[in-house]
Amino acid sequence: MPASFAEFLIRRLFGFIAVLLVLSLMIFVLARVVPGDPARMALGPAASQAQVEAMRDQMGLNDPLPIQYLNFLSGAVQGDFGRSLISGRPVTQEVLALLPATLELVLATLFLMLLFGVPLGVLAARNQNRWPDTVLRLVSLIGVTMPAFLAAILLQLFAAYYLTDWPILGRMERGIGAPTGPTGLLTIDGLLAGRPDVTLTALQYMLFPAIALALSGIAQIMRITRSAMIEHQRRDHVQTLRSFGVPERVVTFRYLLKLSSVAPLTIMGLEFASLIGNAFVVEMVFAWGGFASHGLESILQKDLNAVMAVVMLSGVFFVVANLVIDIIIGFIDPRLRLREGR
Amino acid sequence: MSVLTDHGDQTVVLSARRMAWLRFLSNPVAIIGALMVLSVLFCVAFAPWIAPYPTHAGGIVDFANRHQPPSVDHVMGTDKVGRDIFTRVIYGFRISLLLIVGVLGVAVPVGAALGLAAGYFGGRTEFLITGFTNVMLAIPPLVMALAVGNVLNPNLITAMFAIALLWWTWHARLIYRVAKSVAAEDYIEAARLAGASHWHILTKEILPNCIAVISVKSTLDAAFIILFGATLSFLGLGVRPPTPDLGSMVADGRQFLPEMWWGVLAPALGIFYATLGFNLLGDGLRDMFDVEV
Amino acid sequence: MSLLQIDNLNVAFTSYGIRTHVLKDVSLKVGEGQRVALIGETGSGKSVTSKAVLNTLPRNAKVESGSILWRGEDLTTKSDGAREALKGVEMSVVMQDPLSSFNPVFTIGRHLDDVLYWADRRKGTSRGKAGRAAHIRDVLRRVQLADPDRVMGAYPMQLSGGMRQRVLIALALMNRPKLLIADEPGTALDVTTQDEILKLLNALVAEEGLSLLMITHNLGVVRMTADDVYVMRKGEIVEHGPLERIFKTPETDYARELIEAIPPLYGPGVKDQPVAAQQDGALVKLENVDKVFVENRLLRPALRTHAVKKVDLEIGKGEIFGLAGESGSGKTTVARMVMGIMRPSSGRVIIDGKPLDEAFDGRVDRRLAQIVYQNPGTSLNPKRTVGQTLEVPLRFSDTPRGELKARTESLLDRVGLAPHYVSRYPHELSGGQKQRVAIARSLAANPRLIVLDEPTSALDVSVQKRVIALLEELREELGLTYLFISHDLSLMRNFCSRIAIMLRGEIVEQGRPAEVFANPVHPYTRALISAIPVISEAEEAAKPAVSQEEKQKFLVSSAA
Repeated sequence: MPASFAEFLIRRLFGFIAVLLVLSLMIFVLARVVPGDPARMALGPAASQAQVEAMRDQMGLNDPLPIQYLNFLSGAVQGDFGRSLISGRPVTQEVLALLPATLELVLATLFLMLLFGVPLGVLAARNQNRWPDTVLRLVSLIGVTMPAFLAAILLQLFAAYYLTDWPILGRMERGIGAPTGPTGLLTIDGLLAGRPDVTLTALQYMLFPAIALALSGIAQIMRITRSAMIEHQRRDHVQTLRSFGVPERVVTFRYLLKLSSVAPLTIMGLEFASLIGNAFVVEMVFAWGGFASHGLESILQKDLNAVMAVVMLSGVFFVVANLVIDIIIGFIDPRLRLREGR
Repeated sequence: MSVLTDHGDQTVVLSARRMAWLRFLSNPVAIIGALMVLSVLFCVAFAPWIAPYPTHAGGIVDFANRHQPPSVDHVMGTDKVGRDIFTRVIYGFRISLLLIVGVLGVAVPVGAALGLAAGYFGGRTEFLITGFTNVMLAIPPLVMALAVGNVLNPNLITAMFAIALLWWTWHARLIYRVAKSVAAEDYIEAARLAGASHWHILTKEILPNCIAVISVKSTLDAAFIILFGATLSFLGLGVRPPTPDLGSMVADGRQFLPEMWWGVLAPALGIFYATLGFNLLGDGLRDMFDVEV
Repeated sequence: MSLLQIDNLNVAFTSYGIRTHVLKDVSLKVGEGQRVALIGETGSGKSVTSKAVLNTLPRNAKVESGSILWRGEDLTTKSDGAREALKGVEMSVVMQDPLSSFNPVFTIGRHLDDVLYWADRRKGTSRGKAGRAAHIRDVLRRVQLADPDRVMGAYPMQLSGGMRQRVLIALALMNRPKLLIADEPGTALDVTTQDEILKLLNALVAEEGLSLLMITHNLGVVRMTADDVYVMRKGEIVEHGPLERIFKTPETDYARELIEAIPPLYGPGVKDQPVAAQQDGALVKLENVDKVFVENRLLRPALRTHAVKKVDLEIGKGEIFGLAGESGSGKTTVARMVMGIMRPSSGRVIIDGKPLDEAFDGRVDRRLAQIVYQNPGTSLNPKRTVGQTLEVPLRFSDTPRGELKARTESLLDRVGLAPHYVSRYPHELSGGQKQRVAIARSLAANPRLIVLDEPTSALDVSVQKRVIALLEELREELGLTYLFISHDLSLMRNFCSRIAIMLRGEIVEQGRPAEVFANPVHPYTRALISAIPVISEAEEAAKPAVSQEEKQKFLVSSAA
């Protein structure tokens, strides 16, 4: 790997660590700003003042703030976010148990976004201003004008009314005996355990939630791909190839596509945060049981520790996703890899 | 190189401005968008006079008429306490618009100021501002908004505040990129050499080059804010009843699905209409100014 | 029968309902083995002509009437598919280099392989991957690239401009076309590199029996590479004839104007600028100045660019000092140090007798120096009117509000623009007019020194003359001193009172133009002068000689 690319990645990595640090600081501050006494909330109104005081000591709430932050941070790095104020169980455990569900949903969504977003964008660009383009743009508008929760509700309604026996809640059929390991992703686990029926059922349950989540993303990717391709179509290098008789479709699908794929990938990275946010709501509507809907409930119930864990986890998701995307872009676009001293 | 550029010492055939207008006007979709937005604004301004049952926007109940399906009397039916849904949708637009103005009113100036500063001054300022922006971008906006909204009292103002808190980052990022490329142009150096102050350069030289981008983004943002606000109020953060709000109307109506389908569909249509209008207009503006947003 | 014959071709562009007639009754002939030049300025329609021949016109263009005959057959009546078959195989185009001719994410080898593959497919043959690679290597060697494998594996940005231009030529030649259309080849390159490229083209034409259609705006290039000349203006062919006749006895005024606008290097036409008598010391003096740019990097040692090395120069008051050099010579950096906006890493900068730090206490002194940029298209803020742009220096040099309007108008007047231009935006002005505004802007702050950074290279030749005349006038009137940066030595010969030649950060030769050109000492100077395309045999003969080893030592070969 050329040194300039390594430097680029290292810089990004440091940036992301900084992001996570500042994020943790922000959540911490927010948590301490919340009115109400976390100790009181944990013990309930019936506890005596002395008990609350003892709890406060135990929770470290009487230490000076910087110390509290450092404790929080060291705990966070080790994966310990304390106990849920609602359920009493360790937050990390609860969240991690629910992680695979959300992960699977998000991966499915990303897959849909790329599967539909990019080809449709290319199609629209090739037929710029002709009828396929107009149709596609109208279709993409659906994605952009419908909030995820609404899409979720409507799809659920559609499934309930027009599709017999189609699941509308949850992630897996009860009693089917789905394997619980090793990845936690039901589709993959099903295949690994030799149970294709599990995989198919998982996909069936996942279809509508993923569509609801993906709509907005598909529309955006389609738009970005389209405008990137149109932009690059104007450039001289396309003329060069055309002047030598290289067929249009080769120009489009090989040359332009590679060049135009950078923009949608970047957008996907940035949109990741919104994606997770929307996952919160979609999971809720479909009772998906992932950490996102759990996070939502925690927020609504003011379960501080859980909220902090969920937000940090979202941050980690974002950071990892963007790093992966940066690496992919680095492979696609040599200009990033090879900037010899800029 | 466009054919319509200068030939030797002659002046151009068509100015860039005229071409921009022509682009916009030849785009029927953009015009439709403009009309839709205008109609929404019209509703907002003249709600008490347009809505068939203006009082239903408040705390009236009319149990006799509850859960009426759409009819001539009630174009979109009535809700669980008998209020006309169509009226409430129109009034709901008001809330949406207030939200837009409130959020953009904070996000745009703050984002622009930070973006300009980062792009022009470079160095440490740039590093700090872009670093901070990057951190904010990693936070799921919904989570942040909910968290903040939950901490404070849930109402329209706090919702606005919660959204604006994260919204400025996108504007800052966008304007930063534009400002940075403009700041590298010769004419900015020439202005510095002429002795222009930083303030002059930022506001009079760089900012005008950002207006196009800001307009397009703000229009498209309006659409997003409507969606986002609806999501928030769907989840319980936002205006308190009985003030009509599109998102909470969906939440209310959801309880009575699928028999009382109009309870969900009507506000959904409202959301759809307003968002579509702003989107089309924003797209049209983007084509007209020929920018990347 | 000619190879290519264009008869009364009319092409129009339509945009938003507005039709622009771009080619008007254009007729042109290229015979076998002939070298033809099509010369015109921007907007003359010369590129459109080549696109019409190749069938690469944009979608909103239409051939309204006329014919394009290739070996007797009219191409305008053929299908797109049939015309596609000709591309690269019968006729080829070599375009201007810039980096943008190649897709940045693919290697050169990939580009070439694809073009070859599809050309083969159209002919119905197939070479297989290895066969294609061998052929490509062969062609790359023919354009004098020494290491074909390295070039094939490289990405466009990893090659120098000259090498990319050679690759473009290779691309054009891969399928042994009969006609090579060269569209301003090498204009984006250094003069010495351009010279190499033009010589390469001539060699290829001779070796392979090609016909050449050279499209350019530079008469010197025409002289080097053509036997037959067509002069184009605003979509029409205004004159046509053999090279000698056009140059010696042009018939139309336009052709005459073009020829006369070129400043001569040698001979009676040359103008010698008087050197100002050295009154009370130099305005700006650089003593042993060095400038090193350091970029710190994470994993590797810091990147040090030694842009300027031990430079000594003096600019007297009232002089026009020319700083010549190709890209990377350091001339822009020196100019910035002269202006006081960049500090040297070592050495002294002395302004009017006082060392830099003393003279300005750290701030840039706008009254010392102003600058006129090379590209008028980007040197004015597109969102500000002419008046607003001119007001900035006036306002910030404490001109009273009431006088602003009057001063602005007098500035416009001085550069030859009518007062109503005050409310115009840059996109409403032509290139020459924009440059005048830029000059007015530089005058507004009443500087003593104006740095002219290639102020005319982006302008058409006819406009150049007027702008130079304006600059000379202003110098007389206002007693200005100029620092003129350029790579256009023929212009500098006639416009500067003293010149210095820079190579890789060092000044290799200095003196009065007449002396430098008559007796250039340094081999680089000789190489530079001999690479300039001139328009008369006499001048060509007067050029200095430079040997091959000297060239290799001092020039970066574009073939390496």
